[in-house]
Amino acid sequence: MVAILAAMGDRAPDEVSEEISSLELAWLVSQVEERYDTTLELDDAALARMMTVSGAVATIHQMLEGAADG
Amino acid sequence: MAENPGEWASGALLDGDPGDPCLWMGGPVTRGELASLVDARQGLLESAGLRPGGTAAIRLPPSLEYVAVLLAAWRIGAQVSLLDHRLVRREVDNAMDRLAPQVVVTADSVATAPMMGYAQAVARAQTRPGGRPAATPHVLIQLSSGSTGPSKVIARTAADLLAELGRYEQLEEYPRRGERIVVLASMVHVLGLVGGLLHGLHAGAELVFPDRLTAMSIRAAVAAGTEPTTVLGVPFHAELLTTGGGPLPPLRRMVVAGELVRPWLPARFTATYGVPLGTMYGMTELGVIATDLSGRNAPAVAPAPGMSLRVADGELLAAMPASPYIGLIDDTRWADGWLHTRDAASIDQATGLVTILGRLDSQISVGGLKVDLTEVEQVLCALPGVDSAVVAYDGTIEAYLVLREDGQVSGVEAALAEQLAPFKRPRRLRVLSAMPRTATGKVSRDHAVLRAAAEAQPAGTP
Repeated sequence: MVAILAAMGDRAPDEVSEEISSLELAWLVSQVEERYDTTLELDDAALARMMTVSGAVATIHQMLEGAADG
Repeated sequence: MAENPGEWASGALLDGDPGDPCLWMGGPVTRGELASLVDARQGLLESAGLRPGGTAAIRLPPSLEYVAVLLAAWRIGAQVSLLDHRLVRREVDNAMDRLAPQVVVTADSVATAPMMGYAQAVARAQTRPGGRPAATPHVLIQLSSGSTGPSKVIARTAADLLAELGRYEQLEEYPRRGERIVVLASMVHVLGLVGGLLHGLHAGAELVFPDRLTAMSIRAAVAAGTEPTTVLGVPFHAELLTTGGGPLPPLRRMVVAGELVRPWLPARFTATYGVPLGTMYGMTELGVIATDLSGRNAPAVAPAPGMSLRVADGELLAAMPASPYIGLIDDTRWADGWLHTRDAASIDQATGLVTILGRLDSQISVGGLKVDLTEVEQVLCALPGVDSAVVAYDGTIEAYLVLREDGQVSGVEAALAEQLAPFKRPRRLRVLSAMPRTATGKVSRDHAVLRAAAEAQPAGTP
């Protein structure tokens, strides 16, 4: 995930901070959906959990696993 | 007052073949269907007391409802203020107190989710006590992010809007009748409002709103039609689209505005899609000022037809016959027929091409949305738990602050959430035991110094 965020604006991975801005989140979601060929069903609750890199990683993994099972 | 003060909107925006494809939001909306919706919303607004020469404030998310209500209010002959639906309660209340609209339109119910390209909304129109009719002939009111002091009330007349539509009409490479525009830019701000919505209605180009603001969904929206298609957005959207993708036959070009384009972006976009990334430069006060739709002149832009520009003391000035500001008088922004853009620029004397170099004040752009760092800092400093604060920008908004004895970061965060829309809030609050100062005793604004001070903090500070 950090690599995806780092690619936004061509940053080095250690330049990516833990907090995620809404633009970065849009970027992340867009990229993940493309790579895994899926649509992430996001609501405000999921969004609130995704305001940090760790939260985003956890939430996205949950969703991808859910999509795989579904 | 003119006999029919709403006639400008009917003539320029609504009239036309009812069968024309007009909008696409999950499905087609013809000009005739839109006209019916506008009729219905006109009834809603009139029931709340809106009359020719009256005032209405609209605060709706991007939606078919927003389009219908806006057109209806204008057709009534009212003066419309547009408020971004992301503003928080306090910002909205402040705006309403200043504008004193007679009718306020908000969403009774909204079905949306993060990153949607449009929402399903149902409007509610309420009469606001103490509302005042229009005191000036302007039809559109928008609020700017103020560079010093409170935000400015920016007003445009019907003639101003029609003149801007005329400029778009003369731009050969801008979408024409029968083409499609995939609109990613906010319709509450000038790019999406005039460059997107009003131009589409006026010129007869279909306005397509993708289901979601993701690369996949935007590409799908482009590919869904056969007519030449232009994507209209901010540079962030172009960056989003260049991370993957390949040739999309209906795509003719993408046009972005709102902030400076990073140097590598146009070439990468064209390498991916085989079409140009065009740029436009404009302001809420004037609309589109200069363009480079083919990408030929990047990073420079050519003045739009009828625009007269010059540089004074490094600042770009645009000729404008009357001040666009109402309420507070600020003669540093418009004087003697010239609007001060607060952008640094240079003009090539031989070609007339303009290169925008950067900002001269504390305004920054977050995904195309303008934020005044001084405003953010002032809000922060005024909070009860805060002793002093500095807001810095280095790609993201960061705040460095010293708390009062009883102050807590969580309290500060909560207060900021109440007072500032999400896109204006600092991404990080870094607490210091004392503000670092320069040799002359002023608070330091040097990023490296501030960061070092924050990193030197003992454990326990967030």
